[in-house]
Amino acid sequence: MSNIRKIHDQLQNKEISCLELIKNKLDLLKSNTHHTVNSLLDETALALAKKVDAKIANGEKIGLLEGIPFGVKDVYMLQGTYTTASSDLLKQYKSSYTATAIQKLLDAGAIPLVKENGDSFGHGSSSENTIFGAVKNAVNPDLVSGGSSGGSAVNVAKEYTVFSIGGDTGGSIRQPAGYNNVYGLKPTYGRISRFGILAYASSTDCVGPIAKSIEDVRIVLNVMSGKDVKDQTTYASKEILEDTILNTDEIKTVGYFKNFIENDAIDAKVKADFLASIEKIKAKGITVKELDFFESDTLVSTYYTLAMAETASNLSRLDGTNYGARIEGDNLKDTYSITRSENFSEETKRRIVGGNQVLSQGFSDEIYLKGLNLRDQISENFEKDFKEVDIILSPVTPNNPPKIGDSLKDPLAMYLSDAYTVGFSLGQLPTLTVPQGTATGLQITAAKNNDELVLKFANFLKDTL
Amino acid sequence: MTKIMTVDVLSSIKGAKESEAVSKLFDVIKSTNATTANTVSRNAVSLNNLREDVVVHSPQAEKDIIIENFPREKNGYLVVAKVIEE
Repeated sequence: MSNIRKIHDQLQNKEISCLELIKNKLDLLKSNTHHTVNSLLDETALALAKKVDAKIANGEKIGLLEGIPFGVKDVYMLQGTYTTASSDLLKQYKSSYTATAIQKLLDAGAIPLVKENGDSFGHGSSSENTIFGAVKNAVNPDLVSGGSSGGSAVNVAKEYTVFSIGGDTGGSIRQPAGYNNVYGLKPTYGRISRFGILAYASSTDCVGPIAKSIEDVRIVLNVMSGKDVKDQTTYASKEILEDTILNTDEIKTVGYFKNFIENDAIDAKVKADFLASIEKIKAKGITVKELDFFESDTLVSTYYTLAMAETASNLSRLDGTNYGARIEGDNLKDTYSITRSENFSEETKRRIVGGNQVLSQGFSDEIYLKGLNLRDQISENFEKDFKEVDIILSPVTPNNPPKIGDSLKDPLAMYLSDAYTVGFSLGQLPTLTVPQGTATGLQITAAKNNDELVLKFANFLKDTL
Repeated sequence: MTKIMTVDVLSSIKGAKESEAVSKLFDVIKSTNATTANTVSRNAVSLNNLREDVVVHSPQAEKDIIIENFPREKNGYLVVAKVIEE
């Protein structure tokens, strides 16, 4: 059942007022102990709610998203709001403009309630790398929420927001969605404009929705999609219709990566549950093929090499000159380095330094160019696979969420925990986490620009598993 | 003469050092049979598809917030560090 449609009907039929709805959600967010909130947008949200109520009282029809409360990961520009990236450096930074994707939701009448906590600058897989306190898992608060869009996933899971907008560079929507048992979509790269998201790794950064139903994901995806002159990697896409994704007949063949399942790193229960899901899919008459893929350590190393190089470049602008928490030094360079040393987290510094290493003379050939070549090989592998199968299915993570505090002790283990998500990011493919199949869900992936097929298969799994 | 730039200088981060965890990732890449040949840029923009080359003025509200974000102001001037030529 679509929560958006349910609330829309309640508003339109005057069963609830928008003001009442927004106040209730703001109260839930304010009193929550999961550390999901960086800042509340209460004043503007209440003002917008009154406008929606006035429209309904006037006998006017409201749009489907009008009055629907949503959350925004705190890496998106929303004019006049603090956009901190959960960092000390941007703790007092105010957005001067609004991200295209968020603007489209505002234009459709949706009401932003909260800027959501997550790993600083997207640097993490647990939402512990933040100045606002580690985000606690929605199901078991002793565990991490996942990351980097942890606050967004928890807010949706706890129904503090109807949907939230996360950001996914190497799994940052899909993994927390899996850890908190909700849907999370990383669309095809370029389907949604990146204009106004604080860039982490520009060649894989994706904007995407986290929600409690496939229908809500579809509604929000349609609104945010489209070509944008402010992001020249965007492309025009067709609206995905509700009826189209309910017809699941065209999916004949599903593949999965043998080496993801047959290795020592995967939890025995995740493996058994995944294989049980495969059997249920086969029982429905779908052909299932085992596929060969790159080893997990190659995928993770390729992703992190390129992502670190890109983040080192993207974050070089953060020096405290025009904005950010400048700390004055003896001269210009000193000011830059003190500002950055004091205000970036250890994880962010580790990635910037790693990025500058691979981009520097002597290293770039041996590491960075090889990384780019591996990425091409990975993309070619996907192209070959999608000639044989319609969908690739995979677990979201090899293991269950770790306890809060454990991930920070071992960065390499944290990087390796992204083994199942980063490959699809490098391929720029549409991938959806569904809260089914294993304890941390399943990932459904289709060929580039085929986001529709992903949603179709999600509907099939909803009825099958 | 080539000047050696250490990672702390390149990164503008005092005392920055290479990380063991990150080095392990790089070792994996080095050990692969990948080539270093130039790769085709997958995100290149067509010359026929560029945005118009015109100046678009930001609204006043945007300009006001940009100034509000500036870290230091003195007597109505925005203060930056003195640039020292080396």
